[in-house]
Amino acid sequence: MKLSREFVRDGETVAVQVESIDGNRFRVRVGDNSYEYDARALADGGVRIQKLGDDSKGSVAYGAGSQQSYMLRVDGKTHTLEAPASRRGGGGGVSDGTVRAPMTGTVLEIMCKPGDMVEADQTLVVVSAMKMEHKLSAGVAGTVQSVATENGATVDQGAELVIVVPAES
Amino acid sequence: MAEQPPFQRVLVANRGEIAVRVMRGLRELGIESVAVHSDADEKCAHVLAADHVVALGGNTAAESYLDIDKVLAAAKSAGAQAIHPGYGFLSENSAFVRAVHEAGLVFIGPNADAMDRLGGKKAAREEAVAAGVSVIPGTEQDAGDEKLIEVAKQIGMPVMLKASAGGGGRGMRRVEREEDLAEALAAGRREARDSFGDDRMIVERAVFPARHIEIQFIADSHGHVVSLHERECSVQRRHQKVLEEAPSAVISEELRQQMGAAAIALAKRVGYDNAGTCEFLLDANDEFYFLEVNTRLQVEHPVTELVTGVDLVHLQLQVAAGGKLEELLAGHDLTPRGHSIEARICAESPEQGYIPAAGLLELVREAHGPGIRVDSGVYTGWEVPPFYDSMLAKLIVWAPNRAMACERLSQALGDTAYLGIPTNVDFLRRIVDDEAFRTAAISTDMLSQRPELAAGDSATGNPGAPDDHVLAAAVLCQALARQSGGGGGATSSGSTQGSTAVWQNLNGFRLFEVTR
Repeated sequence: MKLSREFVRDGETVAVQVESIDGNRFRVRVGDNSYEYDARALADGGVRIQKLGDDSKGSVAYGAGSQQSYMLRVDGKTHTLEAPASRRGGGGGVSDGTVRAPMTGTVLEIMCKPGDMVEADQTLVVVSAMKMEHKLSAGVAGTVQSVATENGATVDQGAELVIVVPAES
Repeated sequence: MAEQPPFQRVLVANRGEIAVRVMRGLRELGIESVAVHSDADEKCAHVLAADHVVALGGNTAAESYLDIDKVLAAAKSAGAQAIHPGYGFLSENSAFVRAVHEAGLVFIGPNADAMDRLGGKKAAREEAVAAGVSVIPGTEQDAGDEKLIEVAKQIGMPVMLKASAGGGGRGMRRVEREEDLAEALAAGRREARDSFGDDRMIVERAVFPARHIEIQFIADSHGHVVSLHERECSVQRRHQKVLEEAPSAVISEELRQQMGAAAIALAKRVGYDNAGTCEFLLDANDEFYFLEVNTRLQVEHPVTELVTGVDLVHLQLQVAAGGKLEELLAGHDLTPRGHSIEARICAESPEQGYIPAAGLLELVREAHGPGIRVDSGVYTGWEVPPFYDSMLAKLIVWAPNRAMACERLSQALGDTAYLGIPTNVDFLRRIVDDEAFRTAAISTDMLSQRPELAAGDSATGNPGAPDDHVLAAAVLCQALARQSGGGGGATSSGSTQGSTAVWQNLNGFRLFEVTR
């Protein structure tokens, strides 16, 4: 049994390969490094892992998600691991100038109009969702091209609210 | 329970974890539970936990849990004798309380008049003053700049200027020096006018740094009120509680008695007759000031239960049925024992401005062990709907002392996994592991003063690049999930069988190495 995956770490693609040696033992290659692990699946969805050959402690890891974006919980910390070129729109972090609703909610206030020059972190729309107010900005400085919503509108997750044309730098 | 149950059937007009918790209490008293639910909540944990289920229809709170007519019709059709409102939704709505009575049912909570007298902030402040409870010194209305500045000087600097129509911190500012008052007032008026269309301002003493201390009390319909002592809820973000504990690390027995007496005086004054909480701000000189009364069971009630040994839901039901506290609590030592801390687990990203999340919980693993209680409203495979509060569950620990309770909570948070959508679990652990929290050096502005606690790794310039071990663990999880066809898969959503099949995969696996 063999499984290969790629993740983005510090902006670089890292190849990870798991190969069964025998029974519960696995060879794991992370980039140029090679490790041996003991790993056993648990019925509660977790995997007990222990690196062999040093005195590191074993732990139970829990993972879920897709190949593109995998959420892993191990040693009391949550990691969201992204595959290369898997950046998707909606939900922040993407600075293409389009402001999208982070989740289904209600538009409380639109604070810009077409033609406005705006800063990257300037609040353009305030959306209320799950009893919280969210101030949304474009993430890039530029000019507001269009506003695709109105005060009081109910918007779906990922809906385009404002489009900002990034300023020439 | 050998005794006659206080009711035969009770409708729980709420959802998620609190509805599950109330239903557990009902079952313990031999009472049947009735769940109500919106369309989105058809398979919510509280629906699964109930003996009887009535669909309300609709998705938003207004269409379902807040619709008084629908809730009352559900109670009638299910044959319930009483309604427990939980917290939020209709729990502090006196019109609902009256409607429940008019329908010939019992409301598990205070009477409507007491609720009205303590409901609005202004009304409650007046009742507190009349009951001899100290309130934050200040004006209640705007009599012009000159008068406000005069009052500010009387109170003594620093002061808080607040918009009377205010809320959410807008129009609010702290002023240190008398000579800055006029300018700050003008700026506050502008901001208040822009935000609320109302530029009236009030002035109050700045209680700073402040701790949030609240007294849990329970009252019966025979005029008895008992204090179940304090909870400290100083760790807050944007006026929402994050961690709560009992007892407070900074309250002397004398202060505990004083605050308890203040809460009891206020409850007696308004003829209160169920569970309630009186909230105070405590300053560095042990002076406490009335904030407000919450006329319902609170989110953080479990910490009081764990240190006093009472079951607040049982008591609520028993006093609502006419029970007497002196009998219900006879022989019960209410002195707080040990220490309890609660962490609110929410579907939100503190790392990204606390943005809430909805969606599929692919894998839920809740902590368990000695001194650990989880009041949960979710399970593996539950899709968190976007219409309601983002709280998923509460993790509550008890230990003989605060230091051990902190450590127990930290470990329990480490053992907790809610995968599929972002949660605040790592954030909670950062706070619990922080030196300030461990030494109880907390105040209501701790999180605003320490933004790095919310930001996590992304604040340190090192965005927490996963090390080789983490990447290895991820691919091992995916590989083994494929092999076993079980949960944790990269493509299959992690289904938990919850069976003893775990032992079949554990050949040669030593149990005592699981926890460390």
